[in-house]
Amino acid sequence: MGVRDAQKAATREKVLSAARDLFHEIGYEETTIRAIADRAGVSVGSVFTTFSSKADVLSQVMADRVEPLQAELVRVLPYLRGSTADRICSIFAIHYDFECRRVKLFLAHIAASFSPSLEETTIPFGRNQGFRGMLLDILAEGITRGDIRPDADLDLVLECLMAAYAWNYSHAAQLGADAVALTARMDKQVHIILSGVRPQTSYGAM
Amino acid sequence: MNHIPMRVIASPAVRPAKPTRRALAKQRTREKVLAAARQLFTERGYEGATIRDIAKAAGMSTGAVFASFADKSELFDEILAQDYALLNEAMQDAARSSDDVAANLTNLFSVAYRFHMSQLPLLQAGISASWTRSDVAEKRNREALKPVQTLVSDTLRSGVERGELSQRADLRLIAGVLWDVYLAGYRRAVFDGWTADDLTSRLSDQINLILAGARS
Repeated sequence: MGVRDAQKAATREKVLSAARDLFHEIGYEETTIRAIADRAGVSVGSVFTTFSSKADVLSQVMADRVEPLQAELVRVLPYLRGSTADRICSIFAIHYDFECRRVKLFLAHIAASFSPSLEETTIPFGRNQGFRGMLLDILAEGITRGDIRPDADLDLVLECLMAAYAWNYSHAAQLGADAVALTARMDKQVHIILSGVRPQTSYGAM
Repeated sequence: MNHIPMRVIASPAVRPAKPTRRALAKQRTREKVLAAARQLFTERGYEGATIRDIAKAAGMSTGAVFASFADKSELFDEILAQDYALLNEAMQDAARSSDDVAANLTNLFSVAYRFHMSQLPLLQAGISASWTRSDVAEKRNREALKPVQTLVSDTLRSGVERGELSQRADLRLIAGVLWDVYLAGYRRAVFDGWTADDLTSRLSDQINLILAGARS
């Protein structure tokens, strides 16, 4: 890596770190590029040589967070026990625990994914195939394990789970709910959704 | 803005017998601001449209805008509230269209999908803003959404009364999940180009799944 590239990489790191803190501390909308530059100790111009916009900065901040979360999930995966519902609940609990450490950052990420002026470089919330794949695998294993009906539409199940997972954050945004509260709510929702694909019993007694 | 007069007609009791010229002028200003704001929010999203832009589009000063609305979020929420009010009656009818709880739920959400898909960017702006709004704005929005959320709960309760759903089903929780999947559908519209019909058909499957565990 040349001196220039090394400098550029260093600036990038400084900017992302400053932005991550500011987005969490004062919120995304309130954070200006100038404030990010000040905190990072770089010029406004150099922020713009690396990033096209504030939305781009947010997108990169979030992309950098995928790896540690993924690592945490992979580490836990072999130790999951119990029913499919229990395992799915554990996965979502880890997500809530991770994202609630900097919840304002995550709320900005969800908000940005609905923005009508979403940029092409942005990877919107909910489109991470790694996370989706992990959940789908656990559901598919549920068929083998015998607590999910073999003909269940797993994509449909996943969609319902993801919808509940995402919108539970509105309780963090609006009511100040913490990871424990969100996880407790999600546990109930997971059981409701999965009770619809239990073998035989689905249309029987609840 | 044909629904503004409708709102006025809807509450004749509180309207003075003969509005003063001043009151009429104020009402006209309000309508002009709302029309311009609706257009700009739809085109640019919530953050992208400033009060200054809205005033300019409405052909008035920013001061005149602030005479009608305390801030941008109040103006934005008024537009959303108008839409909810407009939708409410049609959703009420759809929710009573059959004796099947899943069909009634699908139908009531389908009304909302058809309506909002005709102005998707405005809906996106609304959802986007909902994640970071102030406490005051949040309270206002909650009030505006109450009738439709009550409708979902009432529709589920009718299902219990007809014996379709178990007495022991947690209706509150189910209503919450239904609302979540309904809203999540808009993401498919934004990112995958789904139409209102696509969304309704998928939602119908999701509703059946969510209700399956609560069937009696």
